[in-house]
Amino acid sequence: MTLILEALRYLVYVLIFPGFLFCFLTGLLLCGIDRKLVARMQKRVGPPILQPFYDFFKLCGKETIIPAAASKTTFLLAPLVGLAALVVIQLFIPVFRFSAFSNVADIIVILYLLLIPALSVILGGAASGSPYAGVGLSREMVTILSCELPLVLVLLAVGKTVGQALGLGLCFSLTRIVEYQMEYGSLILKLSMLPAAAAFLLIIPGETGNHPFDAAEAETEICEGPLAEYSGAPLGVYKLSHAIKILTMTSLFVALFFGGVGRGLENLVMLLGVTGGLAGALIFLLEILVLFLFCVVLTFLCISVVHAVTARLRIEQLFKYYWTVVTGLALISLVLAWYGL
Amino acid sequence: MFKKLIKESTGKSPWLFHINAGSCNGCDIELVSVLTPRYDAERLGFQLTGSPRHADIVVVTGPVTAQSLDRVLRTISQVPEPRCIVTMGSCPQSGNVFRGSYAIAGPLSKYVHVDVDVAGCTPKPEAVIDGLVLATKILEEKRGQMK
Repeated sequence: MTLILEALRYLVYVLIFPGFLFCFLTGLLLCGIDRKLVARMQKRVGPPILQPFYDFFKLCGKETIIPAAASKTTFLLAPLVGLAALVVIQLFIPVFRFSAFSNVADIIVILYLLLIPALSVILGGAASGSPYAGVGLSREMVTILSCELPLVLVLLAVGKTVGQALGLGLCFSLTRIVEYQMEYGSLILKLSMLPAAAAFLLIIPGETGNHPFDAAEAETEICEGPLAEYSGAPLGVYKLSHAIKILTMTSLFVALFFGGVGRGLENLVMLLGVTGGLAGALIFLLEILVLFLFCVVLTFLCISVVHAVTARLRIEQLFKYYWTVVTGLALISLVLAWYGL
Repeated sequence: MFKKLIKESTGKSPWLFHINAGSCNGCDIELVSVLTPRYDAERLGFQLTGSPRHADIVVVTGPVTAQSLDRVLRTISQVPEPRCIVTMGSCPQSGNVFRGSYAIAGPLSKYVHVDVDVAGCTPKPEAVIDGLVLATKILEEKRGQMK
């Protein structure tokens, strides 16, 4: 009996919250808000906020053309693998006090899983047998290479700070990092973590493949690169993955640097005088709401504003930018953390 | 319910692919002005795509020269169903001032089924948007008939 209940619980985690359904709704909503904000900044009316939903359902109803040069199985399976990996990452990222898989999850697992969506784009592009995809996937590879180094350094800096405070050396458990912040305040308030946070903010548009770091999917020069040959539902899945990636990166940022906000929410509910089971539910709902608001603000900061004010970088400029400026910021934080500041 | 959702979404998210079949660039510039902030067709969901495989509506400009005919037909055949073909300007519709020239293979309707013609040299952006909206309605109907 308990086994069945346990299995049901995990099924709810994977399919509804924080799994597929939650990712689907919030991811596409964030994408729609981003498009609306960019439009407003360009003095346009802009598409309705639900536009990404329309796009996705339309693509589901289109014919799927498989090019003669493509290898069929890889071509059709690659987008699904990428989507599955993103949903799994979302299970590992705690929503303040709540986490689907506590203690098992390590930052290192998330780091590996973050590579899979990019790899699925590369695989799918390579399987489509189009020269545009060839150019695009080589650029995609350079993009993930350049994002990965500063991302690892940021996570190391955070892990060292928390680990030192808890007397563990290095701490790679995201749940523990959030719990630490609940006790001692958010990491964003620490002076030594500010450069790391700035570096992470700069990594977000690169990881999601947004302006100005979208050289891999440059629609005006290489026909959207790896996606050039995709049509119908598989293309819709790629668009969905892109939307969910925005959610993943922004909620990872919230977990790493704003974990302490959860504490404030708990105090707020306590102040209101709600007790018992109701309080738990209220805190949970508030946490989801606050997480979503944080994601919207971060999307505005890192994706919409950046999209509206910059032009696309060339691939070697992107590489240079990430390995000098962003890596430098992350390194400053790491050194400060290592000396216990 | 799912089918209805898809049908309604098809009308709300038409992606454009633009083919220049020997146009003088007048219509091309006017199409860009439809998509840029002044007329902002994106508020109706229109988006310019880079690949014909992503498109729903194909916009053809220019009188379809003998050189471009084969390319135009090949590109159109790469657009997945349901699709709409919209001609923009008088050239693909009738040949315009190039009519009778040895270099012209048009009009386009000799080769493929054209859903909407937007006439004019060049048509006003308002007329183009009107034609595109008409095309989305046809698109929705075509989706309704599928499967």
